[in-house]
Amino acid sequence: MNKKRNKLEMIRDMLLIIQKARKIRITPLIYKANLSSNSIKPYINDLLSKGLIEETLIDKTKYFVITPKGNEFIQEFNKIKIFAESYGLE
Amino acid sequence: MAAQFLTLGNFYGIDSLFEFLVIIVASIISLYSYKVYRMLKNKNFKYFSIAFLFIAISFIFKILSNLTILHRVEITNLNSVIVITSQFEYMRLIQFASFIIYKTLYLLGALLLFFIATKTKKQNKIMFVYLSILVIILSIFMNFVFYLTLVFILTFLTSYYYENYKKNKLTNSFLVFLGFFLLSISQLVLIFSGFRPIVELTGDMLMLAGFLVLLINQIKIKRAAKK
Repeated sequence: MNKKRNKLEMIRDMLLIIQKARKIRITPLIYKANLSSNSIKPYINDLLSKGLIEETLIDKTKYFVITPKGNEFIQEFNKIKIFAESYGLE
Repeated sequence: MAAQFLTLGNFYGIDSLFEFLVIIVASIISLYSYKVYRMLKNKNFKYFSIAFLFIAISFIFKILSNLTILHRVEITNLNSVIVITSQFEYMRLIQFASFIIYKTLYLLGALLLFFIATKTKKQNKIMFVYLSILVIILSIFMNFVFYLTLVFILTFLTSYYYENYKKNKLTNSFLVFLGFFLLSISQLVLIFSGFRPIVELTGDMLMLAGFLVLLINQIKIKRAAKK
């Protein structure tokens, strides 16, 4: 994660972390995504609004889980990235 | 002997076949971009999808404008045969209307791609749309205005896609640049389509080549997913 990531790669990386963990709280997500607590908020809001992840409450603790749409995005990521890059749509 | 028959216009329908292939390619790009939009809710992909949808629909009307119903009468007079061929008036009206819709949708599609590439602000968009309406009205009577406008828009897009290729050095970006380069050249050739029929056919062939290059890009994208 040294190379500067574009927005699509950020979305993919965060989804992969959530997918691997199955359910994850905000603090480990910040740590694993290599972002600050302030910079992660817009990404989380973006993922929630796009329906790629959702919030769930377990024992009064908020977790993030990946949705079927989020899983579909991970599968399609390579295609979407090349399509967006080839037409300069990022 | 009198007969009525439907023809596909010039070149025995070869141009219509080219245009049918353009519809397929533009639809594939539009559908894929819409799929990405549904997933990411990024408006760029939505407008990109609409732009190619406009282009696909425009070519349906282009094919419609090629169709001609002819009425043919053969008069046998001693050893000679005189053939009188006439076209129905209502068919001319359909051709005229279809050609206007084709021009309008094609220009709107190209203009949308221009807005996406330039990230044009709302106030400037209004000015561009106003100018486009003027161009559409002028191009109803002057084909060269239509083709010349497309040459300008497509040349700008070609240079944008070339810059994009220089930035990321991807084969896919090069294919998009090449596709739009061929499309620009095709419209440049079509400016002179009124002089000789072969010029029109050459322009149509170049246009098809441009869209086929864009199709190759889509196929490469599809294959990339398997890697």
